[in-house]
Amino acid sequence: MIPTHWFLILSAVLFAIGVCGVLTRKNGITIFMSIELMVNAVNLTFLAYARQFHQLHGLIFVFFVMAIAAAEAAVGLAIFISLFHHRETIDVDEANLMHW
Amino acid sequence: MFEFAIFFFFAAVAVIFALVVVLHHNPVVGALALVASFFALAVMYVLLEAPFLAALQVIVYAGAIMVLFLFVIMLLNLQHRREEPTRPVQQFLGYTGSAAFLITLVYYIVKYAAFQALPAGTFNSDVRMIGTELFQAYIFPFEMVSILLLAAIVGALLLSGRSVRTSAQ
Repeated sequence: MIPTHWFLILSAVLFAIGVCGVLTRKNGITIFMSIELMVNAVNLTFLAYARQFHQLHGLIFVFFVMAIAAAEAAVGLAIFISLFHHRETIDVDEANLMHW
Repeated sequence: MFEFAIFFFFAAVAVIFALVVVLHHNPVVGALALVASFFALAVMYVLLEAPFLAALQVIVYAGAIMVLFLFVIMLLNLQHRREEPTRPVQQFLGYTGSAAFLITLVYYIVKYAAFQALPAGTFNSDVRMIGTELFQAYIFPFEMVSILLLAAIVGALLLSGRSVRTSAQ
C-alpha cells in the first residue's frame, strides 16, 4: 500500500504547476486548462484522504466537483467564444472591460 | 513493490504532461497533454481504491470536458496564433511564487500529514455504496447539481449562440 502523503505531494506538485500556468500565461484557454489541472489536484487530495480515513464523503465530493467542473467548462468556453466574436482574440489582457 | 513502480511511473507521466500544458505555446498540444495527464490521474484513483471515480475521470474529464476544449480551440483556429509573452516581471513572479508555494505545501505535508499507517481493513467504495450515499444523505446537493448543469446549458447557449441573439433582437 502506498502511503497517503505521497499522493498529497503529487497533488501539491500538480496544483503548483496549475498555479504557475495561471500566473504566467496570457492565452485564456491555457489558463482555463491550468484551472482544470488544479481542480484535479484537489480531487486527488480528496480521494487520498477518503482512503486514509475510510470515508465515502470524499468520493462523493469528487463526484460533485466533476459535475461542477463540467458546468464551469461549458460556461467558460462559451464566454471565450463570445469574446472571440467581439475581439478576435482570447488574450486575457484584452478582456479588461466587463462591457464592450 | 509493483504498486510503487506503477505509482512513480504514472506520477511522472502526470507531472510531465502537466508541465507540457503550462509551457507549450500551442493550445492543441496543451489540451492533448492534459488528456494524458488525466489518464495518469485515473490510474492514481485506481491505486486509491476508487475505481468508479477512475472510470468517471476517463469518461467525464478525458472524454467530455477535454473534447469540449479541443472543439473550441479548433473552432476558433487558435493553434496558428502567436501568443504574446507576458512581461518578464510577471514571468519571474509567477515562477518564483508557484515554486515557493510548492515548497511550502510539501514542507507542511511532510511535517503534519505524513501518516505512518493506513487503517486496517479494506476500504469498500464500490458503486453501490456511493449510490446509496448519494441518493440518501446527498440527495439535495445532487438535485442542486442537476439544476446547475441546466443553468450552465442555458448560459452557454445564450453566450455563444450568435444567431439566437440576433434573431431575438
